[in-house]
Parts: sequence; C-alpha cells; structure tokens
Amino acid sequence: MTTLLIVLFALSLIYFTISERFRTYSWLVGFQGLLLFGISYFELDQVNTLNLLFIFAETIFFKTIVVPWQLNRIISLTNDTRIHRNTLPGYYTVILASLLLVVSYIIGNILKTPVIDRIYLTVSLFAMFTAMLFIITRKKIFSHLIGFLILENAVFLLSLAIGNEMPMLINTGILLDIFISVLILGTFMTKIGSEIHTLEAENLTRLKD
Amino acid sequence: MILYYFIASILIIAGALLSRNKTLTALLAGGFIAGQAVFTAYMLDNRNLTELGYFTFDSTAIILMILLSVLSIATFYHGLVYLKDEQTENFNIYHAGFIALIASITGVYLANNIMVTWIFLEATTLSVAALIYHHRTIRTLEATWKYVFICSTGIALAYVGILLLGISIKGVPGADLSYQSLTHTVVHTDPVYLKLAFIFLLIGFSAKMEVFPLYTIGIDANYVAPAPVSAFISTALVNAGFCAIFRVFKIFTNSAVASWTNGVLIITGLISLLIVAGYMQRVKNFKRLFAYSTVENMGLVLLAIGMGGIGYYAAFLHIVLHSLTKSSLFYQMGQAHKILQTYKIFKTGSYLKLYPVGALVLLLGLIVITAIPPSGMFVSEVLIFKSMFAGNNWWIFIVTALLLCFVIYGMSTKVLLMIFTPLEKEIQHPVKVNPFQSMSQYILLGVVIWFCFSQPAFLVELLTDAAKIVK
Repeated sequence: MTTLLIVLFALSLIYFTISERFRTYSWLVGFQGLLLFGISYFELDQVNTLNLLFIFAETIFFKTIVVPWQLNRIISLTNDTRIHRNTLPGYYTVILASLLLVVSYIIGNILKTPVIDRIYLTVSLFAMFTAMLFIITRKKIFSHLIGFLILENAVFLLSLAIGNEMPMLINTGILLDIFISVLILGTFMTKIGSEIHTLEAENLTRLKD
Repeated sequence: MILYYFIASILIIAGALLSRNKTLTALLAGGFIAGQAVFTAYMLDNRNLTELGYFTFDSTAIILMILLSVLSIATFYHGLVYLKDEQTENFNIYHAGFIALIASITGVYLANNIMVTWIFLEATTLSVAALIYHHRTIRTLEATWKYVFICSTGIALAYVGILLLGISIKGVPGADLSYQSLTHTVVHTDPVYLKLAFIFLLIGFSAKMEVFPLYTIGIDANYVAPAPVSAFISTALVNAGFCAIFRVFKIFTNSAVASWTNGVLIITGLISLLIVAGYMQRVKNFKRLFAYSTVENMGLVLLAIGMGGIGYYAAFLHIVLHSLTKSSLFYQMGQAHKILQTYKIFKTGSYLKLYPVGALVLLLGLIVITAIPPSGMFVSEVLIFKSMFAGNNWWIFIVTALLLCFVIYGMSTKVLLMIFTPLEKEIQHPVKVNPFQSMSQYILLGVVIWFCFSQPAFLVELLTDAAKIVK
C-alpha cells in the first residue's frame, strides 16, 4: 500500500509539470498532503501514539487544509489564476521532468542501501528536482512558492523513510511546515499581492549592484 | 539557567509587543541585554556544562556568546539612536525582533545537537525578517521576501543533509544526532552519504554565513535593513552560520571524507573571494560594499578551516576581529547616512569636512578591515597564510593574495572617495551628529588594533580550545 501511495505521489509531480492553473496547483498540494498522511499511517508503525497524532494532524490539518486554503486566498487576492509565461515551453518542462525521473531512479540506485527503501529515495529526489524546476523555469512568485512546497513535501517523504527510528526528525520537519505556512503564505504572499498587485517575479528585481 | 533564559526571552518579546510606551520597551530590551551579559558570565563560570540535554557551554559557544553580548550592547545603543523619532509600534516590533534574534542566535551557539542547531537557525530567519522589513517599503519587502524564501529553501536543503546523515547512521546502536555521537558514528558509515550530507548542509547554512552559494540574500538584507541591524546581521548572525558549519565540519574530521570536506571548504572560500573581488569594483552602495566585505572575510575563514592546523585558530581569531570591525563600520554608515542622506557611493564626499570624527572611524575601519598593520586582522590573516604554507598550498596562497589585492583596491577607492572627494551638490538641511555617538566605534576598533600587539591569555586559551579538533 505504501508503495502505491508513493507512486501516486510521483504521478502528482508529473501532473504538476503539465498543469498551468494555480487552482490545480493548490488542489495538488492538498492531494500530496493526503498522500503523505496515508504513507505516514502505513509506514510509521513503531512510533508512539502522541508522535503519530502530531504527524497526522500536520499532514491533514496543515498540508491538506491550511496550505491549499492559503493558496486559494492568494489566488483570489491577486486575481492571478494561471501561468502566462514560462522560461521554457510547457512540453519541454514535461520532457525535462521525465528525464529528471530517470535521473532520480539512477541516483536512487547508486545510493541504495539496506536500511532504506529505494522508492523513498527515488521519489524524494524526483520531487526535489521538480521543485527546483519550478523555481528556476517559472516566472511567477506563486510558482516559486509551489516549488518550495513541493520541496518541503519531498523532504517530508524522505524523513518518513527513517521516521520509525528517529521520530524527532519528522517532528522537526513539521516545524518547517508550520514556519512556512505562517510566514511565507500568510504574511509575505498576501503582502506582496496587496503591495504590487501581481505575482510577477520581475517586479521584485529592484535590488541590484 | 538556559530554560529561564528562553522563558525570559519569550516574556520580554511579548512585553515589547504589547507595550504602548517606547520607554518601557527600551527598558525591557535593555534589561534583556543586561541579562544576556549575565548569562554569558554564568557560562564562563560553568564551562562545558550541559543543560536540558541539548545545550553545552563549550569554548566555541563561550567565545561567540562574549561577542554576541558586546555586539548586542552596541547594536542596542545605536538602535535607540536610529529609532529616536520612530513610531511606537515600529519601535516595539524592532525591539521584539531584535530580542528574538539574539535568543535564536544564542540557541544556535549553544546547541550540541545538529537538529537543535537547525531549529534555531530557522528561528533566526523568522526574527530577522521582522527587522529587515522595518521600513515597510517595496525594497524592504523584496529583500525580506528573498531572504525568507532563499533562507527557507536553504533550511530545507540543510534538512535533507541532516536526513542523509540520519540514513547513514540508521541501525547503529545508540546513535543520535548530537555532534558528539555523530563524530563517532560517521567513521563507519557510507562515504557517499556523508559527502552528500556535507554538501547539502554547507549549501543550507551558507545563507547564514554569507558565503557561496547563497550569499546574495545577505547582501540584499544588509542593504535595506536599518544600519544597526546590518551591523548585527553581518556579525552575530554570520557567526551563527559559521558556528553551524564549523560544528558540522568537525563531525567529519575523523571520517573517510575528511580531506574531501577540507577541499570543498577551500573551493567554497575561493569562489566567495572571487565573487567579491569582481563585485567590489562595480558596487555602487556603501552598505552593499561592506556586505560584500563580509562575504570576503567569511571566505577567508572557510579557507582557514579547509587548511587545518593553525588555520582553525586563525579562523576563530578572524571571526572575533571581523565582528568588532564590521559592526563599527556599519554603525558609522548609519551616521554617515544621516549626514550625507544617501548610501550611494558616487553621491557622497567631503565626509572629513562634514563629520571629521566619523571620517576618522571610516579611515581607521578601512585600515583594520583590509588587515593593514596595526590591525589585529593582520595577525589573523598572516596565520591563515601560515596555514597555507604549512600545507605547501602555494597556489592557493597566490590566488588568495591576488584576489585580496582586488578587494583592497575596490574598497579603498570607494571609502577614500567618500572621505576626501568634494561633494558635487551641497546637502539640503544638513543634520548634526553628536560625536559621542561614535565612541563605541572607536572602542571596538581600538580593541582590534590592540589585538595586533597583545592578545589576552584567557581569550587565547578559549580560542585554542575552540579550535581543537580531536583526532
């Protein structure tokens, strides 16, 4: 079951690269939160109940409800609903994403060790690469933010691979989530949206030498 | 004691935010800073004590805490001068952010567990964001957004590094993420995982130490933040990044990848220097100029650590002296801005005529930061070069010396221009600065000059102990 959920997580990443609508991104972020909840449920069988409840609350409450809600709020506030310009055309992004999946698989094979399931490494790496792809190739700050949220989910997924032995690692990852949700989504995106009325990254290039 | 320290920090932050009176907020912040100094004295009396399981008062922590106390006092004073006419709400947010930053940095210095270091570094991002955004302009919004976004990405990457370390020690009985435990356990683990972990951690923490690759956000933050905050970011916060990287580096010194990590630090240091050597020639703003100088000095510190041997001692000495020098330069910049009403290099001039006390600070600061004798930084840089000679790394010495020439040229021409070149336009409504306000800068620079001739025995002992690498 865990493997199936991780595969679905990888598919959601490909869907991210195909899609150009912000509402779809928001929906996908929530969906990934749900998948991470499922993976935590099946994987973390040696963790004490309190820790487990904390992790569940984080995946369901923060990743599946709060973060998508905040994203939708930003979309409504800025009235920006989709990508208009990419550095790369859409189909190139999909091809690049597929290549990154292959590269992740190869690296996952190189790094394989008996203590960790290879699929965790492969899909986490793929998610990290997808996140970087979003941050580098997209022009809008909203897409950069989505890239960051994907990176955060990649890290969370990787932390689940050793979560039974080191639950503190997952709890700390949760701190990162809360930190991002409160600070970036709640404060700055809203502020940027209301101050410059658009989420074009080009409007934030005044600071130069 | 540390528990009380953190509880007091939270209460004082809350008090500052709820206060409706600037005097009360200033008293609360002043009280906190006095408490910070008392706490540092307590640490000196209880060396190597571990509290709450995650905080140890080792020599590295004590040196950085002494510096933090000194910098906090000076920054607090200059902050009060800077915010004299500020509205109560902004005044309170500034001080709450400042106290939160000091407390978070304290956590980074004292942490004996990589996870705890990571948590407190994350907290520094949150608190420094409030300070960078102080002026509430589009520029500060941009700098704050970039700072938060890139630091968060860096923090996430550092977390990947910690996870990789976790994977590499998975299954080792009794292993945990304390620096002491990791130093012993990584000896027997997979070198590929260790290399990846080190790279991720270095990239992540580079945002705080202001070295390649994530140094850019520090430059922007220094540029837009109030001058006293720039002084604090460029010193105490940068030292937190150094502390994190040095502690991570120490984990690997007994592992199979020890010499590889040395090489990575040397390359990172050289690239940082190379970037600064280029940008120093084209930079047009004084705060950015001094921010680039921070990148240069931190690059030198990484080179020193990468060299090993006497380099460790040199790195710590350089950190101490750089903090004292750079803070005084930024404090002076705040005063220069009041008088010249700009940070733009080519719009400044006649500073010697307008404010001779400040011009002398800048001149002294220039001599000290460029490590020209009688600067104490001359001693630390000679020691860094000595570590290069000891390892027969002549080519690194030649490249470093060459790049430093470019840096010194770039910095000198710009600072001298401000002091001596006549102003093109008269300043509208000139502001007077009380020369007493520059006193702290003379004291700090005086200490650095004194270090060229003599170093107190207790500090040498602390530095030697902090620089000790157990093989």
